[in-house]
Amino acid sequence: MPSQIVTLRVNGSPRELIARPSTTLLRALRENLGLTGTKRGCSHGACGTCTVLLDGEPVVSCLVPVVTVDGAEVTTVEGLAGPDGGLSPLQQAFLDNFAQQCGFCTPGMLMSSCAVLRRTPAPTRDEVSEGLSGNVCRCTGYEPIVAAVLDAAERTRQAPAVTTAEVGS
Amino acid sequence: MLTAVLVPESLDAARAALAEEARPLAGGTYLMPRLNDHATPPTRLVSLRRVGLDGIAVGPDTVTIGATTTLARIEDDERLAVLHPCVRSIAARPVRSLATVAGNLFVGQPYGDLAVALLALGADVEIQGAAGARTLPLEHMLSIGVAGDELVTGVRFSRPAAFRYHKAGRRRFNTASIVTVAAALTMADGAVHDARIALGGLAPRPLRCATAERALVGRPLDEASVRDAAHAADPLIEPFDDAYASAWYRRRVFPVHLRRALLGH
Repeated sequence: MPSQIVTLRVNGSPRELIARPSTTLLRALRENLGLTGTKRGCSHGACGTCTVLLDGEPVVSCLVPVVTVDGAEVTTVEGLAGPDGGLSPLQQAFLDNFAQQCGFCTPGMLMSSCAVLRRTPAPTRDEVSEGLSGNVCRCTGYEPIVAAVLDAAERTRQAPAVTTAEVGS
Repeated sequence: MLTAVLVPESLDAARAALAEEARPLAGGTYLMPRLNDHATPPTRLVSLRRVGLDGIAVGPDTVTIGATTTLARIEDDERLAVLHPCVRSIAARPVRSLATVAGNLFVGQPYGDLAVALLALGADVEIQGAAGARTLPLEHMLSIGVAGDELVTGVRFSRPAAFRYHKAGRRRFNTASIVTVAAALTMADGAVHDARIALGGLAPRPLRCATAERALVGRPLDEASVRDAAHAADPLIEPFDDAYASAWYRRRVFPVHLRRALLGH
């Protein structure tokens, strides 16, 4: 079966790419579109570092043949920053809480956290743990990451006037 | 190596595509890890993402869930609260956003906890083949499977009066099953009137446990009857060794988890 053209809306912009049958969404993002923020970890859907939002839902992009999601909307870690390139409130909370060390899990952690905060803008610690249970971190331990997500939710509550700082973005 | 991934837009087109030595692909959470190793023989897949088999219909008595409905969608549907403890015990959200109901019926143990729950709910499986549509009890389908040119289109079950679900894993979230127990029980005059008990992690397939059910019916639900039910189930279970637990351990702790499922302690 020949390669085919796939159209995605990635971080708000229409993008086209040529995909083989075996091209996963992860590979399309990294190799066809140059969006290397999303990482390849296990390729088994077990580590979560390749998590992106697909039509608003977090998915492990290593398990999705990209030809099956032609026309979909995808948000990657590159899409979290504001229009001026500054960090999103969630990213700033990760920075302030020392929630990354080597950083390899961070893109997936951010996208899963983003999904948690969209579903539950004021999550409990337990809800954050459950929401991040598919993302593996081998450096920091999980405490600073959970703290960062709770902190991001708290900051967003305290600054409701900043309409661009939508929770989870 | 994937040589083709077809994305048909109707059930008929999907079945026609499957006839050309292809395998159905739903959420891909079980199949894709096994194909991502670049060492598999040439494989053709037929994606079911666009065939229109997703959806949830909740009637007064009956619930119907389309084959490609994701576990995340069940989790978000308040009408399906009976299944929420089960789906939330399966993997993590980025996998549940892909994994489907019908896919869960075909994964190997120790996965497939939704199939265990549906087995205890007495679910029927709707199947479409060349000769038309047919319905099979899930228990039957799990043992004989479906023909190569057939597709599961949905599952259907009656709302239970009372439903219990308990899963023991290595950690609280995102773990495969060591022992899973699902049970639909009705009580009358202080005794068990009717029982459907299904077990996961204890056999190559989700196991409906009629001997345990018989041990409970007509008796009060208490420590003695539940202990007898576990004893009655023991010859039926065929636990296995894997990375999560040994067969010995699974057999040893099964009575504990049956008790926790049925009595809550």
